[in-house]
Parts: sequence; structure tokens; C-alpha cells
Amino acid sequence: MATELPINGSNGHSNGSISAASLPPVNGHGPAANGTTATGNSGNTFAVKAGLARMLKGGVIMDVINAEQARIAEEAGAVAVMALERVPADIRAQGGVARMSDPALIREICEAVTIPVMAKARIGHFVECQIIQALGVDYIDESEVLTPADHAHHVDKHAFNTPFVCGCRNLGEALRRISEGAAMIRTKGEAGTGDVVEAVRHVRTVQADIARAKGMSEQELYCYAKELQCDVNLLRETAKLGRLPVVNFAAGGVATPADAALMMQLGCDGVFVGSGIFKSGDPKARAKAIVQATTHYNDPVVLAKVSSGLGVAMVGINCDHMGEKEKLSTRGW
Amino acid sequence: MAQINVGVLALQGAFSEHIMLLRHAFAMLQAERDDSSWIATEVRTPEQLNACDALIIPGGESTAIALVASRCEMLEPLRSFVKIERRPTWGTCAGLILLAEAANRTKKGGQDLIGGIDVRVNRNYYGRQVESFEADIDLPFLKTGQPGSETRPFRGVFIRAPVVEKILPQVSGIQTAEQEHPETIVAPSKAPRDSFSASKLSAPVEVMATLPGRTNVNDLPQRVKEESDGDIIAVRQANVFGTSFHPELTVDPRIHIWWLREVKDAVAENRSHRI
Repeated sequence: MATELPINGSNGHSNGSISAASLPPVNGHGPAANGTTATGNSGNTFAVKAGLARMLKGGVIMDVINAEQARIAEEAGAVAVMALERVPADIRAQGGVARMSDPALIREICEAVTIPVMAKARIGHFVECQIIQALGVDYIDESEVLTPADHAHHVDKHAFNTPFVCGCRNLGEALRRISEGAAMIRTKGEAGTGDVVEAVRHVRTVQADIARAKGMSEQELYCYAKELQCDVNLLRETAKLGRLPVVNFAAGGVATPADAALMMQLGCDGVFVGSGIFKSGDPKARAKAIVQATTHYNDPVVLAKVSSGLGVAMVGINCDHMGEKEKLSTRGW
Repeated sequence: MAQINVGVLALQGAFSEHIMLLRHAFAMLQAERDDSSWIATEVRTPEQLNACDALIIPGGESTAIALVASRCEMLEPLRSFVKIERRPTWGTCAGLILLAEAANRTKKGGQDLIGGIDVRVNRNYYGRQVESFEADIDLPFLKTGQPGSETRPFRGVFIRAPVVEKILPQVSGIQTAEQEHPETIVAPSKAPRDSFSASKLSAPVEVMATLPGRTNVNDLPQRVKEESDGDIIAVRQANVFGTSFHPELTVDPRIHIWWLREVKDAVAENRSHRI
């Protein structure tokens, strides 16, 4: 188990107010493995699902709506692309019901690039997930950015061979998603705003929740699990590790290289960038710059260099001027 | 007590997992009264690379790692580290792709390679994520008879994994014959600088492990498997070692320990040639 290993301390976070501890091993041990430990040949174990997320660490996943944007993302150095019908800024502006992308478009994106392809499904819409899995997509995002399809139930993600990423605003929400089978977490932020404040709030909330759990006795953990409405075993594992037991990316409002580096210094494993790239003045240059900033997040000299002359960032919406009902992050339960 | 600095390329991917397993392996070597002082460092700049005696290139996205490396002027220092200075280097998954002299099924327009092993790698041989898997694999090189060596299989985790599909002839320049193949890319020349690096050029490619009995879902017509009836999943040539699976996704340090012993010998040899 993880505790027998030397703590890696993830030396990247040297200046860090907050340091990300090591992820647990995912070779089929531990509660997060969901009992899928096996010998012989086995596909689709939790280790294999969570393993792909680990390969994406330190990278940028970019929202794309067609094959052309997917190629721009791949050439910029994205570690994966996220296929969706409209970028969050347009979903916000245009309103209406936001759904899974047209499968023909997802297929075109899969054919256009060789990096992993993710696609968004509506919360609770397990048939959209089945379709996405049938298309051979590498990761499914059960996402609050689309219009929820179920008022109470999230998808049973263990039932799928394709791994899932899900959003969270706090530790309870993250652990509920992991217990449903999510192999990767992203903090929600507020998609389509270009305002990083909610992304920061959600990462800091998760970390504060974990810090509280770390200091707790066994009795207190049972009580805290009730408060967080999560599985006590996952909470105990998280407290022991000092971090989420799966890879955690930042999302929702990252619009500049500095935003990406901020999320990395706060201890995230990588970043999702949605509207921030293709709603900016020069998507190619900005995409590249965000990739470089995510690698060299701790080097202000590099950050200054890559942040220079990128043209106009997306205009954005100030989250403080937004009503609770307008927030996408409040979707999901 | 000589210090040996093992770098892990930290441009993108599962580098912290390697550092964690390296530290575990260091502790186990020290328990065997190994007299070296080992340190593990993250490498993001040419200066950090230059301070390393050996390097691991981790799993990740090879296209992203190659693009980031090219933009922060790391590609040439990496090629020099591997192919001219001949310092010990190990690549896992994406790392194996980058260390191959030729690769196919890369992104449109190809990608940059570091090179170092005269093989052609098929980049996503096993297909997309739904075809990723775990399997018990037999690693003959771990059965050394040394203390700690065991015969139990290693748990191989294969994530959108590549395999070595062809062992290439040893050439001193670039793999020109490979350039003729459609959609195949090659690494730039590895012309030796001195007699030490020249001596490594004649080293043969060794097949270190194969995975029998898996059928490939994307049966490509150009796929040729040579010298083996299974998929080649681990190779070595001189100072360069590559595995298509991810030891960094397990808690099993046996391959790291084996490789560090190789590193120790190579560092001694390398240093004696540099004086």
C-alpha cells in the first residue's frame, strides 16, 4: 500500500503553500480499486482506467467542437481533446438544452487525432454514455456543462469499460463520484466564464476538506463521512494519502497561461481549458502557451515569456455578477 | 561514495510515479549495502538534464512530450545525452516511442523522436483505451540469481500501449530505409563523437521480453513481427532500455532495481571514459 512507500512530496510544488502528495499505486490494491484486482489478462480494471488519467498528468485537455479544432489542439501539445457540441461560453450565451455531440462529429475527431479523445455526456444520461463508449472514445465526461438528464442519479460508471471523469466542488462530491466509478476528477470551476475564481474556490475547498480529514480519528471520520455524504472507506484512504485517490485536474474558467500555472501551483495534476482557447483572439498561440505554462508552472521567467503577445483573451463573465441559478457548477448531486 | 543522479523527464506524464518508485528502489539497494548515494530529480531544463547520470522518460503522451521538448529546446540536449554521451536512459510507453529510431501511427505530420534504439515502434498498437489491459508478464532479465531476484511474474499495465514491431539494421546515420515506408518517421542522425560513443553503435538490439498470445485489434498490413512469436514489449540496445508497459503504475520496484544496477555499471564505465 501507498503508506509503505517513501512520500514523494511531488517536488515540483516547492514554493507551494499547498503541496500535492503522491497518488496511491493503482495496481489493483486499495479501496479505490473497487475489487477489480485480478491476475492473468484483464482489461478495464480500475488500474487501467485510472492509469490513463495518470498519463495525462502535467498536461492540458482542450475542449473542441470539430476535427479542425482537435488538430489545432494536438499540434499545440494537448494531451487529450474533449469533444462537445458547443463550447461552454456558447452554451451559456445561446441557452437551450445542451447535449452530447453528434456521433459523426465525435468520430471525425477520433479519426483526426492520435491523442486520447474524451466526450461529454449529460449527468445521468447513461444511454449517451453507451453511445460514446460504442464510438471508441477514450474517456467519458459526465458533465454539468451539459443540461442534466436526471434530477437525482448519476451514471453507474462501474458498469462501463470506458473510464469516466466527473466534476466536483468539494471533497464529498468528489468521493461520491469516485464511489460511482469515476477514475478521474476535475474541480468544476465555472465553465464558459473565463473567470478562474470558481476553479480556485473548488480546489481550495477540496484541499481544506482533506486537511480537516487528515487530522481526524477513526470515530471522527465516520461522522465526517456522514457530513460529506460519502463513503467512509474512500474518505479514510483520502485522509491517509493527503490528496484525492485519483488524478485531479482543474477546470472551468482557465483562460491564460498564468491561470493554468496558478491551478498547477495550487496542486492540481493538470488543466482542462474550454472556451478559453477557441474564444480568444489567437487560439493557436494561446493553446501552445498554456501547454508550456502547465509544464513550467513553477518558473516565472518561462511564464513571462510564454504569456507575452498572445492577443486578446476571451472577454469573459465575472462570476461575482452571476446569480446562483446561472451557475453550471451547481448541477450534479 | 559516489553520487548518482537519476533524472526523470518531467515535461508531462507520470513522472512523480517514477520518482516514488526510484526512491523505493534506492532504499532497497541501500539495504543491500550498495555504496552509491542515489538521488532522483525532476528534469525540465537542459541544465537539469546535464546534471544527470541517467534518465527515465516516463509514460505520458509522446506527442505532447515531443512538442513541449522541442519548444523548450530540450530535444537536442536529449539526443546528445542518449546518443552521443551514451548515458543510461530508460523509456516507458511514451518514453519507448521517443527512444525508437523509427515509429509509425503518429499524429498527422509525424512527431519528433529522440532515437537511440534501432527499432520501429507501432505507437498505439493495442488500440484505444477500451483495449488497454493488465497482464502478468514474464521478464527473463529479472531472474539474475542475485539477492532479491524472484521468479514471480511482473504485473504489466498496458495503457494505449506501443510495441516494437520491427528490429532495424544497425546503421550509423538515420534509418533511411524506414523513411521509405508510408507514415513512418525516423529520428535524426546519431553520428558518434568519439571512440566511446562509436563503440556503443555496434551493440545489437536485445529483445528483453515478449507478450505472447494477444491478438491485435488493428491488424495493420505493414505489421511485421520479427525474431519472436509474441509482441516485443521490452528492448535494450547499449545504454538505452525501453518498455511498452508502465512499471510506474505498480508498487513493484524490481525493474527499477535491476535498471539501477545497470546504471551503476554504466556510470562507472562512462566516467572512466570522460576523465
